[in-house]
Amino acid sequence: MITIEYLHYRNLAIDTLIIKPGITTITGANGSGKTTFLKLCAGIALPDSGTIMIDDAPPRQTGIGWVNEYPDRNLLFVNVFDEIASPLRFRRNSCESIDSTVKSCAEAMGITHLLKRAVHELSGGEKMLVSLAAALVHHPKVLVLDEYDSHLDARSMAKNEQIIRSSGAEYIIRCTQQMDTAIHSDHLLFFNTGRICHQGTPDNVFPLLKGTAYYPVLWEC
Amino acid sequence: MVRIILNRVYAVRDHWSLSASGTFHEGVHLVNGDVGSGKSTLALMMAGLLPLPGGSIEKEEITSSMLSLQFPELHVTGLSVAEECTSWGVTPDEILAAIGLSGKKDISPLSLSRGELKRLHLACVLAKDYDLLLLDEPFSSLDCEEKVKLCARIGQKSQGITIIFTHEQEILPRVTRIWEIVDNTLVDCGTPPDAFQHWRHVPPVIGKLTALGSRPDNISLDDLREASCRIQG
Repeated sequence: MITIEYLHYRNLAIDTLIIKPGITTITGANGSGKTTFLKLCAGIALPDSGTIMIDDAPPRQTGIGWVNEYPDRNLLFVNVFDEIASPLRFRRNSCESIDSTVKSCAEAMGITHLLKRAVHELSGGEKMLVSLAAALVHHPKVLVLDEYDSHLDARSMAKNEQIIRSSGAEYIIRCTQQMDTAIHSDHLLFFNTGRICHQGTPDNVFPLLKGTAYYPVLWEC
Repeated sequence: MVRIILNRVYAVRDHWSLSASGTFHEGVHLVNGDVGSGKSTLALMMAGLLPLPGGSIEKEEITSSMLSLQFPELHVTGLSVAEECTSWGVTPDEILAAIGLSGKKDISPLSLSRGELKRLHLACVLAKDYDLLLLDEPFSSLDCEEKVKLCARIGQKSQGITIIFTHEQEILPRVTRIWEIVDNTLVDCGTPPDAFQHWRHVPPVIGKLTALGSRPDNISLDDLREASCRIQG
């Protein structure tokens, strides 16, 4: 379980929240605190007060895979192979194992053809696929995705949805503005002005969003 | 009458290529395609910002054009949000009030959340009328309510050519014509709703509504909801 208690950070305030293993999707308006919340879960930011514990360990002592909503902010290296290899190189894995792991990860994601490309030549969607590969290649316990799907087409999303689900990450916490994606979640959190307004399964939450742009067209069909 | 004509436009890079022919008349056009299919490259070529390796582009009666890039941070020139508005020739107070960012006019545009920066950028772009408006992934980073507002704003445009390059599948404006990039080639799918039967990237919601016997008239959220209501009676 991820246990959050009395969390305060900038405009974000959450008294108590339990996140169970599985896919947790966050949605809500721009500026409602979604990215801030994801950064705290990933250990990129530390709360002003309160705690986040992932199975009794703080985020910074947990294996985390992180994908930023700004594609260019994910990329540190010149070419795609080096970018995906970087988490393994930081762990001082052997060159042979890094080579085979990166190639199999790229193959699973359908981006083998990008491995020799310079990252600055990639399209926005391709950058996100490379960022996701780099986040998954070290098999994190928690995968945190900040609107990475806003740069992907439906076909890429469908493929990546399967890859994410079979990645072995115990907790997948993601933010999206695609309600077709949000439908396929175990838990749904709806944020507004730094607070969680609604939480539960999609079956619980979507009826509460009827009449808003967040209500899926086919929900009742 | 304004129009832009692509004559055997061709681009090539390593194992990738793109060829495009067709005429874009006045109205709102949607250009779909997979990641890396060349949507942004085509937008840059149509804007005249990339040299054409092959073919030609003719612009008739187009005296003003604008390309909105996928990444709003690439447009930023002002040190503050107010300066950024001024750089686009719009009055900061007026435009910031309209998009709910009045309290942020003195901070750096790069301190805004990505969604806020996209809102600011699009408000500045849409404050003026252009004969040719090219919008590359205008919906990325916007929340659902803002996507709806953007669709409404695009729908208010009464003249000129607007071309939306996007893979957005859920919240879109009503469009005049649908195009897609398939197998490295720009394909004219036609006008909705007939275009749906040729459109390989047809959004799943339109496919499901059609399969349920209620084909929407167009691709806007209102059209989809109207079709959904027909099913629900």
